[in-house]
Parts: sequence; structure tokens; C-alpha cells
Amino acid sequence: MMTAAIEASGLGKQYRRTWALRDCTLTIPDGHVVGLVGPNGAGKTTLLQLATGQLTPSRGTISVLGEPPAASAAHLARVGYVAQDTPVYARMRVADHLRLGTWLNPGWDDEMAQRRIAQVGLDPRQRAGSLSGGQRAQLALTLALAKRPELLLLDEPVAGLDPLARREFLRGLMEAVAEHGTSVVLSSHLVTDLERVCDYLIVLVASRVRIAGEVSELLASHRRLSGPRRDPGTLPAGQDVIEESHTDKQSTLLVRTGDPVHDPAWTITPVNLEELVLAYMNPANDIPARRPQLGVVS
Amino acid sequence: MIRLTWLQFRTQAVTAAAALAAFAVLLAATGPHLASLYAASGVSGCHGGSCQNLAGSFEAQVQSTAIYPALYLISVVSILLAPAVIGLFWGAPLIARELETGTSALAWNQSVTRTRWLATKLTAGGLTAMAVTEGLSLMQAWWAAPLGRAASHGAPAGPLTQGRFTQLIFASHGITPLGYAAFAFALGVTAGAMIRRTIPAMAVTLAVFAALQVAMPLGIRPHFVPADRAVISVAEGYDAGGATGPGGSTLTLVATSLPGQPGAWILSSGPINAAAQPVSTTPAACTSSSIENSPDFDGCLTSQGIREAISYQPASRYWPFQWIETAIYLALALALAGCCFRRLNRRRS
Repeated sequence: MMTAAIEASGLGKQYRRTWALRDCTLTIPDGHVVGLVGPNGAGKTTLLQLATGQLTPSRGTISVLGEPPAASAAHLARVGYVAQDTPVYARMRVADHLRLGTWLNPGWDDEMAQRRIAQVGLDPRQRAGSLSGGQRAQLALTLALAKRPELLLLDEPVAGLDPLARREFLRGLMEAVAEHGTSVVLSSHLVTDLERVCDYLIVLVASRVRIAGEVSELLASHRRLSGPRRDPGTLPAGQDVIEESHTDKQSTLLVRTGDPVHDPAWTITPVNLEELVLAYMNPANDIPARRPQLGVVS
Repeated sequence: MIRLTWLQFRTQAVTAAAALAAFAVLLAATGPHLASLYAASGVSGCHGGSCQNLAGSFEAQVQSTAIYPALYLISVVSILLAPAVIGLFWGAPLIARELETGTSALAWNQSVTRTRWLATKLTAGGLTAMAVTEGLSLMQAWWAAPLGRAASHGAPAGPLTQGRFTQLIFASHGITPLGYAAFAFALGVTAGAMIRRTIPAMAVTLAVFAALQVAMPLGIRPHFVPADRAVISVAEGYDAGGATGPGGSTLTLVATSLPGQPGAWILSSGPINAAAQPVSTTPAACTSSSIENSPDFDGCLTSQGIREAISYQPASRYWPFQWIETAIYLALALALAGCCFRRLNRRRS
């Protein structure tokens, strides 16, 4: 098992009387492009803010690349972060942002920053406040990438972007990741944003990991079975029902299983990532007895 | 980090430089004429008793012009307001604006710790604030020097020749502006870090700073060192005056200066009887109206054993008081800065 990009144990963050994140235990592996998916309010943003030291935990612990968040200048240099809404200094020019990067980051890759700015068509003299949402996101991503971090955390980076800008942003991200082998954690409430780029998926619902694993493995281990009505309790061991729906005569089940399903009564169809995530996100399916073992598959 | 600080601080720094320059031009344009009036007045070469008259007529001459009293007031008030303006517009937004716009997530995720980020910003902003305020103060002191010399030659106290201990002068000259500037800036930054919103932080900064600037001369500064006491005869009481209340029996004696202690800061004065007890009523022997408003009133009081007790801070304590007050404000500024570091490193909740 590799070093964890993020490791949280019993992590909680309380705002006055409400918990933004409560008793969250998870391990996000290094060396992947990880999609952190969950409904609004699942605690994704809070988790990433805790991971970057923007917030302090009320309970529990979190470590990033084996150290407490924002532990030192050297540790800050290893972690890149693009916050939700991709904030930039409205009154500073694009070029000033790059200078800021040069000044504050010993590992700054200015050649890469300049190239990226040119690629995405940003005018260095333009004030950041007058950029479009997509351009602003690209600028914020450039700042985070040119720092050459080992781990890049992106909080809903494409939420505010139109489909074209979304594609451009993710393409730029993937190029850089492929070039430098950066680990990435991307959060989103829409799995469709992420399925093209992620090779590892974590579904977070109400601070809890519903499922985590490599995308290819998740797809291979889940199937939709449909056939004559049947009590899910009679399924063979090793087939965990994630979601079920029944009519008078028919049952449709989404099961997780490591083994092939041989029962000829079933019509077996593969599951796509969106269906899989929706099944896990649906609170109606969150029955503790059926919850799969938490943990990391790597 | 210093370069980023400069990049973000440029606008304010240019504004401050422009304000300083405007102030300098205004004073440089009028200062030489004021100095020439002083030179022509003959105060500088005076001897003995003529000095007081010459200094008084110089003051009256300056007072009669339209421009100098106005400039004097404007310049002194500018020095007093500068720290507040700096605290409001440099201090309060320093952290609050970053939090409001979310750029703190950008600033604090570069390869620079928050401690260094804040240390650089506080140092740069604090030193600039101190330099600007003290710069104003020194320029004003140069400009107003002839008036100060006239006062030391015995010109009667007036709007332009106030003692060095009066709040307006004490707080705008010497080294106190350094302390006020550092404190107001640190106060603004801390309010911003705690409240996390710029406008409320500005309001709190202004309220706290103003409250302290009122409390200091009224309640705190007089007690830096225990006041000296003097008992003088009523007749000796230079500027002493008797007053009577409606019943004709209330006695007050107000001293504005003390013989033998030029420039002393009179904190309080009042009549005492032969037993050194404070009295508040005119002795019966002196209440007849014919005596009361005559020069004999002083003599009557004296004959009844009434003397005047004065508590005061001697002029020689001016610089110790300047140091004490500046040290208090600098210590407060450092304590506030410490709060900011703790707040930032505990991370926002």
C-alpha cells in the first residue's frame, strides 16, 4: 500500500451547533486521480478545507502526505489547492498572479505557467477581476500546477463552468497530471464531471465513505441483475445487494460481487459509473447490514 | 513575500506618500513666512520683561491672520487622525478582505507559512504607518517651532501657544504618534482577523481607538507618575480666581499655571483651610459682596487661612511621559499582533 494522500480518523468539524463533517474516517490513496463524490452537504468542501489547513478540526485527526495540514513551508509546497469558486485577486493582473507564484514558491515552474497562460488564451495584462469564470478557474489551476505539488486538491473546480470550459479545464488538468505524475483529489457532486478523468472514486455521504475503490474495479464488481421476483436474502454469499426494486413479478438488483454470477434466472447487465454512484448516494440504500466493508482497494 | 506585500500595498503606499507630500508642500509654502514674522518680532533677541510683551504681540499677530490658525489646527488634527485612518483603511482589511473574497485560500496555500505571511505584512504595514504619522508630526513641529519659542518666552497661553502637556500638543508631537500608529494598525488587523468582515472591523477599530484616545489623557496619563503637590497663597496664585455660587458661599480657586513651575501640567487645584482640609465654601468673613469682587478678596481669604492646593506634573516629566505613553501603545500593538498570529495559526473556524 502506498502513502496516503489524505488520511482522516474520526474527523469532525463543528460550526456552533451544526456539524459540517462528523466522525469521518477515510484514506485517500496517493498516485491516483481521485474523484470525491457526494451530495451537497456531504462534507466534501469541509474535508478539503481541513486537508489544506483552512480549517482546524473540532474532533479527530487528519494528515496529508503523512504530515499535519499546512505543517511547514516545505509541506505547503507539496500540496496544491484550488478552492471552490477559484478565488483570485480581482485587482491584480494575470501576470501579477504569476509573479506572486514565482515569489512565494521555491519550486515554481515559470515556463509551465507562462505556457499554460498562453495556451488557455489569457492576456497577462488583464485584471483578474475581469476574467470569465472559466478563465479564472484556469488561472487558479495554473497557480496550483506551476507550484509543482505532489498532491493537488481541487474543490468543485468545474461546478461554475459551462460544458466547454469544463472540458478545457479538465483537459488542461489531465495534461499536467500526465506530465508530472501529480496525485489529484477532485471533489464534485456530479460524477459525470469526473468519470472521464478519475481512476479512483470515493462516494461520501453524510461524512461517511459509502464506497471507495479504483474505477475499473468498481465497474467490474458491480452488476445489475433482473429476473423473476425474488427475495434478496436468498442470494448466494458474496453477492451484496446495493439497491433493489421490485414489481409484482420482477426484481431488479444492483449487486456487488467479486465472482461471476451464474444463476441463469438473471439477466445480467453492466453498470455505468453514474448509476453506481447514484445507487450509493441514495440514502434509502444505506442499510448498515448491507454496507460493504469500508476501506481502500488498491 | 516582501515583494507580494509591496504589490498588494502599493495603492495605499502611494496614497500615503501623496498625503505626506501635500502636507509637506502646504507647510513648506507657509513655514518660512511664519518664521520671518517671528524673526521680525524681535522675540529671539529680547531681554527680560520685554520678552513677554514681544512674544504676546507676535502671537496676536499670527492669530490675527486668517491662514495660520487654520493651518495650525488642520495640521495638528491631521496628525491625530492619521493613526485612525491607517487602522481603518490599512489594518482592518488586511486579513478581513482576504477572508471575505476567499483569496486567503490562495494566499495561504503558497509555499509560505501563515506566520511569515502575517509577519511580513504586519512589519511592512506597521513600520509604514509609524513612519507616515511621525513624518507628519515632525513636519508640523518644524513649521510650528516659532510659536513654541514664543510660548517659552512667556506668550500668554492661547490656541496657538498651548502648553506641551495639553492633549492636542502632547498627542501630536514627540514620539507618541509612533505608538498611536502602530497600535491603530495592529488594532485594525486584529479586529479584521477576529470579525472576519471588513466594514464591522473598521467600525470596531474606530470605536476602540477613539475610546482609548479619550481615556488616556483623562484617566490614565495623569497617573503615569504620582502627581506633585504644592500649596501656595491665594495672592500668589497666578491666574487664580475666586468664584461664588448662587448662595454666595461656594468657593473655587482655579490655577492654570504654577509660580516657579513654568509649563507644568496642572491636574487640579482648590482651596484648603489652615488645617490643610479642602474647603468648598467662602469663609463668612469674606462673603460680603463689597469684598467679594474686589482685590481685597484674596487678602480676606488669606487672612482666614485659606490657601490654594495644586496637584501637578512638572514640565520636566514631559519626555518621561512621552516614553511611557508610547511604550504602552507599542506594548498593546505587540499584544494585538500576538493575538493575530495565534488566530491565524489556529486557523479559521
